[in-house]
Amino acid sequence: MSDAYLPILLIFGVSALNAVFMVALSHILNPRRPTPQKAMPYESGMIPLGDTRARFSVKFYLVAISFIVFDLEAVFLIPWAVEMRALGWSGFVAASIFVAVLTAGLVYEWKKGGLDWD
Amino acid sequence: MSLAWILLLPFAGGLAAWIAGRWSDLWARWIALGTALLHLLLLLVTWGVFFTRVAPAPGGWLMASKQPWIPQLGISFHLAVDGISLLMLLLASFLTVLAVLTSWTSITRSVGFYHFNLLLILTALSGVFIAFDLFLFFAFWEISLLPLYFLIGIWGYENRVYATTKFFIITQGSGLLMLVAILGLVVVHWQSTGVLTFDYLDLVGTVMSDTKAFWLMLGFFIAFAVKLPVVPFHTWLPDAHTQAPTAGSVALAGLVLKIGAYGMLRFVVPMFPQAVADFTLTAMILAVVGILYGALLALGQTDLKRMVAYTSISHMGFVLLGIFAGNELALQGAVIIMLSHGFSAAALFIMVGDLQHRTHTRELGRFGGLWAVMPRMGGVGLFFAMASLGLPGLASFVGEFLVLLGAFQVNMPLTVLASVGLVAATVYSLWMMQKVYYGANTGDWQVDDTSGREMTVMASLIGATLWLGLYPQPVLTTSGHALAEMKKFAAEARATAARPEGTGSAASGAVAATSPVGGERP
Amino acid sequence: MNPFSALTPIVLLGLTPLVLMLVISFHRSHRLAVVISLVGMALPLALLAGTATSAAPPLAPLLIIDGYALFYIGLLSTATMVVVVLSYGFLERVPGNREEFYLLLTLATFGCAVLTASNHFISFFLGLEILSVSLYGLVAYLRTTRTALESGIKYLILAAASAAFLLFGMALIYADLGTMDFTAMTSVLAAKTREPSVLLLGGFGMVIIGAGFKLAVVPFHMWAPDVYQGAPTPVTAYLTTVSKGAMVALLLRYGQYGGLLDYDSVASVLAVIAVLSMFLGNLLALLQDNLKRLLAYSSIAHLGYLLVAVIAASREGSHAVTFYLVAYFITSLGIFGIITALSDERKEADEISDYRGLFWRRPWVSGALSLMLFSLAGIPLTAGFVGKFYVLTAGVLSDLWALVILLVVSSVIGLYYYLRIIITMYLSAPEDPSSPLSATRRFSLPEGLVLAGLTVLLIWFGIYPAPLLSAIQAAVGSLA
Repeated sequence: MSDAYLPILLIFGVSALNAVFMVALSHILNPRRPTPQKAMPYESGMIPLGDTRARFSVKFYLVAISFIVFDLEAVFLIPWAVEMRALGWSGFVAASIFVAVLTAGLVYEWKKGGLDWD
Repeated sequence: MSLAWILLLPFAGGLAAWIAGRWSDLWARWIALGTALLHLLLLLVTWGVFFTRVAPAPGGWLMASKQPWIPQLGISFHLAVDGISLLMLLLASFLTVLAVLTSWTSITRSVGFYHFNLLLILTALSGVFIAFDLFLFFAFWEISLLPLYFLIGIWGYENRVYATTKFFIITQGSGLLMLVAILGLVVVHWQSTGVLTFDYLDLVGTVMSDTKAFWLMLGFFIAFAVKLPVVPFHTWLPDAHTQAPTAGSVALAGLVLKIGAYGMLRFVVPMFPQAVADFTLTAMILAVVGILYGALLALGQTDLKRMVAYTSISHMGFVLLGIFAGNELALQGAVIIMLSHGFSAAALFIMVGDLQHRTHTRELGRFGGLWAVMPRMGGVGLFFAMASLGLPGLASFVGEFLVLLGAFQVNMPLTVLASVGLVAATVYSLWMMQKVYYGANTGDWQVDDTSGREMTVMASLIGATLWLGLYPQPVLTTSGHALAEMKKFAAEARATAARPEGTGSAASGAVAATSPVGGERP
Repeated sequence: MNPFSALTPIVLLGLTPLVLMLVISFHRSHRLAVVISLVGMALPLALLAGTATSAAPPLAPLLIIDGYALFYIGLLSTATMVVVVLSYGFLERVPGNREEFYLLLTLATFGCAVLTASNHFISFFLGLEILSVSLYGLVAYLRTTRTALESGIKYLILAAASAAFLLFGMALIYADLGTMDFTAMTSVLAAKTREPSVLLLGGFGMVIIGAGFKLAVVPFHMWAPDVYQGAPTPVTAYLTTVSKGAMVALLLRYGQYGGLLDYDSVASVLAVIAVLSMFLGNLLALLQDNLKRLLAYSSIAHLGYLLVAVIAASREGSHAVTFYLVAYFITSLGIFGIITALSDERKEADEISDYRGLFWRRPWVSGALSLMLFSLAGIPLTAGFVGKFYVLTAGVLSDLWALVILLVVSSVIGLYYYLRIIITMYLSAPEDPSSPLSATRRFSLPEGLVLAGLTVLLIWFGIYPAPLLSAIQAAVGSLA
């Protein structure tokens, strides 16, 4: 049965090989005369300014990490909230423990100055 | 009576000496001396008791005590003393007394810890001689390395770190090989009986296939051969001896080599009779090679201590020869050589130590003409040179004669070759005398003769050598009884172990297969 | 019995870092942090005495608190207490915040406790990650020094990579067996009579990679020397003992249930890993001059020995593994403890040359250190010997003769470097008066007590191991 598909497979193979072959050939054969203008990154005709690796203040990372933590808190709480009635009190207790642990973390971060910008 | 005092007494004495050494060196020395003397005295009393009841407890064990120790693995704290153990214990205790005496003035550094190590050697070796549980035996065997390691490493001579490391690694390696062999034996026993035990009395009768027996025997043999040392495994010995302090050399030559021989007597021969019979020729060749090679190399040495070390290898070759010749005469001879070599090697090492203490050299070329300045020491040297070459009337003559007589019945050509070793012994002993004491005093040595303390040590060794040479009968009785009992016990144990498995004919076949190697030969 | 009361030890261990965190927020005190962590570790221990006899209630599906788990939790939290005591003196001479160290330490132990009690891939992975994430912080705790940062980064990247392998392996096994629960795996595997599928074997391989990284066995050992050397010494002690111990505990349980050890191909892979670890660890340790680095390689070799008993997989094998671990815990904590306690503000005492002549200055300390090294080398009268003996016995009982012989040969190689350290202590001290002696710090009382206690235990279990053995047999017996 699979024999019937063999020509299709062959066509795929031949076209893939053909594409690779042509690209490779042009890469090998083309003349190369780089100039600074040619080597410059293309930014829609603008001349690029400065280094692309800008330095951010480390405070941004702190905020980002805090965001991830509390964002994930939401991710975990939503399923519980959806099924709250079905899960009952034990579900509520479990969710409360989860929130309490994160609150302790928040308190620590607050006291440590993690929420102050300066 | 519990046998634990044999172990506890020297250990406690060692600890006391260590603690006392924090305040006073002299106290440490006296405590160590007192402990060793007390140990010796108690053992002599025990020996006396032995003679009053020569047919003791079942199995021939003079005294035994057994406590559960690690019951989960079938390990018990099983101690027992028979004639051979007793002789070895006496030797160990006696030489420890002498070791303490010889270090009286030469050791000045960390005296308390030094004596702790000396007495720990005594403890560990006593343990080796009386342990009847293989785990316990192995533990003591390994513990005996530690104090020697420190003795050589701390109080040794110029190249001590190399020597002590080499000594420790080679002997520990061989010990681990023995551990594997012990475990193998235990597993074979466990597979055939379903009982996990390390007890000597249970394991001695283990029935196993010839191949298994051969490999296990080889494991034990190599472990003991390293200690003995048999020639390809001997390289640690000259280095360790040369670098060790005098007492360390005494302990090494007098005692540590003996545990190799003791192990062969106690474990290899009774446990694997068939494998031993197959192996006899190889072992006897190794023994003869050891005798000749040791003697030859002794002749080539320029370092006096190293020379004495090589003579040890030669003498221990006779022990191996005797053990593997296997008949009553040869085994008795081996036991006597173990004792006599303990005396003579200890005396020679003490002499070298005394010389080195005075002249600060061990170079044979730098000695000469010392008889003129120290005639007493020269006389002692001559006596032990004679003892070493096997002069009739002295201890080693008895042993070597018995061994050669026994070995002659087993293999004549090898025995003839071995007796060439006696000639070589004459050459190196006299050569040593020549180099050190005779001739002109070219080194211009002006040294004191032996002190009263040194003379006491030597006198006791001379006394022991003479006594063993002239009247060896008590020793022969003691060891002969133990050897016979051991052989009988092993055969009986094997017969009982074989019986429930096969039919009657199979059982009798097993008994026939276990008939001792040369015991029944004329 | 209420199944949740069985969970109390783990809950308490989990509460400790929380409490610590809140306390730090309001009142920063080094001493208080130490006290809280000690109490937090000691409370579950005290409770263990009460719960150890009770039958294991199945807290399906994630955790199982049986005697085995309790034994290991007790072992790990005791070891953590030792590390806490040692860390106090260490952190006192380090600039910066100290209290967070204990926060991370207790959190890591919580992760370890979850590992030892886990009966499911999910709890396995959760425990492992709690442990790993805390360890990243601990390893790089002295963040102003280059070496600590370097080792932190190394540990982070390699641990993350190995966790990925582990997850992939779990996924493969789940694909084949259709369950992540260890107990359920047993029945699924029992129903299968055919050869293991490629999926299953691939999964096993990935799990071995993940676990092998934590255990630092060859060829997953590359991080160990640098991390050992760069991390604060108490953390190194923790890495060697608690983190590896928890992983071994899990491996044993998983091996018992998950069929890891039932296939010859897996066993032979483990055997190759064990042999490589023993030899490479011991051989490379010969070349080291830094004590912490040397111990890293020595630890690689010791885990190799341990794997031999894991492969033995018999009843004796599990006992041997546990006993060996206990002995190894005592010994390693002792050695790293002595290194920590001897270091001062000027210099960490982690070069072998620092120990030259130590015996003549500090006979007790060097005596204890010699005993520890003898224990590592497996000389009788020490717990290490009984451990090695038990491992050899287990190997021989399972007919693993080749592995046993190789173990013996490689431990003879290992002797050399242990002896080298010991003999260095007994050499005479350098007589150059201009160079100040290192390793001169006096011990504080708690440090002295802890180290003395470890030494006594070392000898005690070396001479009379029967009580510990029966405890282990009772605990491990609940596994099967």
